[in-house]
Amino acid sequence: MEAMEIDSEKNLHRKHSTYKLLDERFGIQKEMYRGQQYSQIYFARLHMMRTLLYSLVPNWKPHLPVCRVLGLERDKECIIVGTLYKHMKLKPCVLDEYSKTRTVTPLVKPHNFVHLDDHLILEDESGRVKLSGNVLSPSVYVTGTIVGLHGKETDAGDFFVLDVLEAGLPPQIELPLKSREGKYVVFVSGLRVGSSSLNPLQFQLLVDHITGHLGDEKEQGIAAQIVHVVIAGNSIEVPHVLLNGQNLASKDQSRLSEPIKELDILLTQIAAGLSLDIMPGIYDPANFALPQQPLNRCLFPGSSAYNTFRSCTNPHCFDLDDVRFLGTSGQNIDDLDKYSEATDKLDFIERTLRWRHLAPTAPNTLGCYPFTDRDPFLIESCPHVYFVGNQDKYDSRLVKGSDGQMVRLISIPKFCETGVAVVLNLGNLECHTLSFGTQFSS
Amino acid sequence: MNKGISRKRPAPPQPAANPAEQQATSPEEEEEFVDEDVFLDETLFETEDNLVLHDIEQRQSLASRLTNWARPPLSHAYTSASRSIAFQQLEIDYVIGESHGELLPNWSGSAAIIRIFGVTKEGHSVCCHVHGFEPYFYINCFPRMGPDDISRFHQIFEGRMGEVNRNSKVPKFIRRIEMVQKRSIMYYQQQDSEPFLKIVVALPTMVASCRGILERGIQIDGLGMKKFMTYDSNVLFALRFMIDCNIVGGNWIEVPAGKYKTTKPLSYCQLEFHCLYLDLISHTPEGEFLKMAPFRILSFDIECAGRKGHFPEPTHDPVIQVANLVTMQGENQPFIRNVKTLKSCAPIVGVDVMPFDTEREVLLAWRAMQRDYKLSSYSLNSVSAHFLSEQKEDVHHSIISDLQNGNAETRRRLAVYCLKDAYLPQRLLDKLMYIYNYVEMARVTAVPMSFLLSSGQSIKLVDGAKIIKLIPGRSPVPDVGHLEIRVLEAKAGFYENPIATLDFASLYPSIMMAYNLCYCTLVKPEVVHKLNIPPECVNKTPSGETFVKSNLQKEAKDPLEKAVLDGRQLALKYTFICPLIRISANSVYGLTGATVGQLPCLEISSSVTSYGQQMIEHTKNIVKDKFTTLKGYEHNVEPIKLEFEKVYYPYLLISKKRYAGLLWTNPGKFDKMDTKGLTKTGDDYGVKAAHVELAECMRKRDAATAPNVGDRVPYVIIKAAKGAKPLLRIFEPILKNASKELLHGSHRRSISISTPANSGIMRFAKKQLTCVDCKALLSKADRTLCSHCKGREAELYCKTVAHVSELETLFGRLWTQCQECQGSLHQDVLCTSRDCPIFYRRKKAQKDMAEAKVQLDRWSF
Repeated sequence: MEAMEIDSEKNLHRKHSTYKLLDERFGIQKEMYRGQQYSQIYFARLHMMRTLLYSLVPNWKPHLPVCRVLGLERDKECIIVGTLYKHMKLKPCVLDEYSKTRTVTPLVKPHNFVHLDDHLILEDESGRVKLSGNVLSPSVYVTGTIVGLHGKETDAGDFFVLDVLEAGLPPQIELPLKSREGKYVVFVSGLRVGSSSLNPLQFQLLVDHITGHLGDEKEQGIAAQIVHVVIAGNSIEVPHVLLNGQNLASKDQSRLSEPIKELDILLTQIAAGLSLDIMPGIYDPANFALPQQPLNRCLFPGSSAYNTFRSCTNPHCFDLDDVRFLGTSGQNIDDLDKYSEATDKLDFIERTLRWRHLAPTAPNTLGCYPFTDRDPFLIESCPHVYFVGNQDKYDSRLVKGSDGQMVRLISIPKFCETGVAVVLNLGNLECHTLSFGTQFSS
Repeated sequence: MNKGISRKRPAPPQPAANPAEQQATSPEEEEEFVDEDVFLDETLFETEDNLVLHDIEQRQSLASRLTNWARPPLSHAYTSASRSIAFQQLEIDYVIGESHGELLPNWSGSAAIIRIFGVTKEGHSVCCHVHGFEPYFYINCFPRMGPDDISRFHQIFEGRMGEVNRNSKVPKFIRRIEMVQKRSIMYYQQQDSEPFLKIVVALPTMVASCRGILERGIQIDGLGMKKFMTYDSNVLFALRFMIDCNIVGGNWIEVPAGKYKTTKPLSYCQLEFHCLYLDLISHTPEGEFLKMAPFRILSFDIECAGRKGHFPEPTHDPVIQVANLVTMQGENQPFIRNVKTLKSCAPIVGVDVMPFDTEREVLLAWRAMQRDYKLSSYSLNSVSAHFLSEQKEDVHHSIISDLQNGNAETRRRLAVYCLKDAYLPQRLLDKLMYIYNYVEMARVTAVPMSFLLSSGQSIKLVDGAKIIKLIPGRSPVPDVGHLEIRVLEAKAGFYENPIATLDFASLYPSIMMAYNLCYCTLVKPEVVHKLNIPPECVNKTPSGETFVKSNLQKEAKDPLEKAVLDGRQLALKYTFICPLIRISANSVYGLTGATVGQLPCLEISSSVTSYGQQMIEHTKNIVKDKFTTLKGYEHNVEPIKLEFEKVYYPYLLISKKRYAGLLWTNPGKFDKMDTKGLTKTGDDYGVKAAHVELAECMRKRDAATAPNVGDRVPYVIIKAAKGAKPLLRIFEPILKNASKELLHGSHRRSISISTPANSGIMRFAKKQLTCVDCKALLSKADRTLCSHCKGREAELYCKTVAHVSELETLFGRLWTQCQECQGSLHQDVLCTSRDCPIFYRRKKAQKDMAEAKVQLDRWSF
């Protein structure tokens, strides 16, 4: 009936929703490199997580004493909390690159560095102890994860693990009751404008679809329900060979700036219609270390004029109609994929949630800023939607926590390779894909 | 061996309170050993040690672990002295003490007592005092000497000794003089032996003073002033003992039951006993006696609180921590780990931490531990990187004091570092199988293991065999400097074709054997006529020396060399011994050429080189003629193997002994880049040893960071000599007219504009932002770019951010690597190892990052 009314008026109105940006903790504008090292971020992480895990112990194994690594006594069962360190045989070592014999063995870069001989070590600020037993699988855990362990010290000086306590899903703000029906959010990642793999027509189709310039009225009606667009990293392909510090010839200058301009034009089309978040990715002209800072507005002279355009950090966190979103451009999960194993990418995503840490491998194998007093990657409050960009394929799963938390995990595929964007129904947190294909009949 | 292990003889126990050597160094290599008499003085410290031991045992928390340390208890058979004691000896030395009344009833006064230290197969530590072995040497006998002459000579000689050693309390210097039939090793002689006088003296040190007197000449009634040639007078006492008792380094010794007497122990060994040297049974290392006893290896690290800018000195700087690790030979984990610290220290997993309040206690406690371990010291800097491909964490000594003065936690941090340092030598020992190698080397060369560590190569030979012939005391040799060895002219250049390398297998030893070159085959030309040696029986070497051929001199092969080569029979069973034998065989040649060595004989060495020369020349011709069918090189006497060693491809030859190339030993892929002589080494400078001079210079500049013996100095930057053109040296072999191409032309033009920094007119200058790209001054409104460059904003931003991104990558990788080496995520990296390839990069990354961040922040508006 309502649809009929709209139909009759022939005038579609885009729905609106309230948006709240929650990126402050990922900003490093005020941070400085003052000679600090990475020990402090580990320290902060351990401190926060230990407080949390200690609070869980009474419900887990109240009869057991809690120890520090130093306080271990032989054959006495206890619980220790600490940072895991995975000793990896195949882990590439920067020293090898600088050693004199570097030409002898070519540096092979396998996809995955997991090896059967890997073993885990638990560390707190007092010391380290090697872990043994089959409960804790080295292929699952990575350096930087914080866990509580139940076990005992053996004669060999190892800690024999009997049980593992993970932090589990963080507490979640309740899903608001107010109507979120019929609102959609679009996720896209890996546009790679400027690369040969992107079909520009596909992207234009996507933009036209979102902005409602495509299809019949029914389709336009669907487009009108899209309230927000998130671009999760790797939007621009910058030819890195040009960025070697040399002054550029004018031809190269345009090679560099053309893709940026092209992207700006398309983003302007979106931003004119609805709110848009753009996150930096590993290939974007942004800094490398996490948290990646927002892409500079000078790259988007057109779209940045709109207040609907937001250049955000990676990781990125926001509330939309009080639904909490958290996501990254994929580096954290890709790094887990290199240094641990799982059946599918969603498992990695779920693990980070259970470990309550977005990027446990940072700073060990994933570049990150050396924070001194905090670890911004800790997940203190459980998002309702947790998305990760630049993955090989679309996948989605609903994870339920022990306290009734519900999280929608989304793995967003690379658009330039698949032509697929992901649409989330804000009402029931269900997902589906938008596939764009172009076929020319000759 | 030279890879940084400093040479130091395990020091005899020193008076306490004077121990703080951080990493023991010895001033210079000693080629010749001099007997030093060590008097028994350990009893002095016993009470003090016991006090501290008692104190340690009071600490209840450690009591249980302390029991783990003890060696296995003695079985009844041992305690009741009813079984024979067999042990593998590790060290032989001697002390001067009272002769044993029971074993040697007829002796009186002080005598040299040999001490043998070792371990039984059960792991008991053994100290065996051997009595009755006397130091002696030989002199040549004057013609027609009768028994009366000998006793008269004895009296006169005794008198002279008394005069020289007035302060000595020894009642009798010369024990006895006997006439024996022996022969000298030098020169070919027709008769098998001639008479010599064997002079037995009371104490080993007297040998040297006897030699002095005899070589200077002695007045004998009726015969006038006589000078004597001494023989075997520079054979060390302990070696003399080993030779006479058939003991080789690291072998098993057995003392039958009933032949030994136990007494009040002087050492901390479990089994300590006295016996006569004739009762020792020395087992040749074969079969069962090839095994290794379960030695314990102690490695330790001592940390001192240094003053800034100084290397710690014992008089000023207290010892603050001693870390100890003890491993059983053949096991790969240390079973004792402890750290003794000054002041309290937070505990460390799996390690006993023993805090003490004064430096004295730390050291005494350590001495207590040291009791039955033999010590060697190592300098670790680059060794670890080389063999374990791991970087050693290096904490700067100025930080050490700060850590010590902090709290228990910071001292713990220091203790962890200390322990790691202490463990490193053990891992190296394991990795390089030093223990096996040294025991085998000691067995092959028949000297105690400590001699191998502390002395040069010549020691490995002097007693290479049971000496049948006498070695003359040092005879003056005209110092002719280094032997002139002619080497083929090097054809400098850059070779893009593969270059094959051929090598003679053990060339010099083989030549010596092939041509029968030896001390005992050398004849002086005038002697050839005198003895009527037929010319077909002598060999004239290209250098003009004469040697008899093997048909004339039966014992043709050099006995030293023969023993070494005979060792091969045994060694073949254990392939890893082979390189050791090669080292020994090569040093025979070195021995003959070293004018300051034990037994120089330039005639031999020059002959060997001249033959070598001929052979190389000859080979060169053969190779030129038919290098496709070349297999081996048959010579007229004995075949000398010519090996096809390796291929260089490509190869850059600058001059002889200076080259670089990729080394291939298989067609698949190259092994490594081999360079030699491209950096200056000691050989490039005449008499002044460059490395010594450099170390001295560096010590003058900053004593704290100056290199010690065994340290490697990767490079130094110096002010070039005027007009020096290092570039030419590099490019000369490749470029024709290198000087013209490199040093002349437009690329060398320089334009200088002087800018006053902070004086005169510059004081009126105003600071203003410039454009990031074109450096034009910015108006107040702009912050990053000038109006001209504004259009390229995106491009320029990309450039800046790409630079930041690169630095961030580097920063992350370098600093996490250092955390990895350090073995801790939660503690700051302290390492300042200057040998580490990433130390400076890491520091630079930090600095660059800070700058780049500031630069990037200019864009954020």
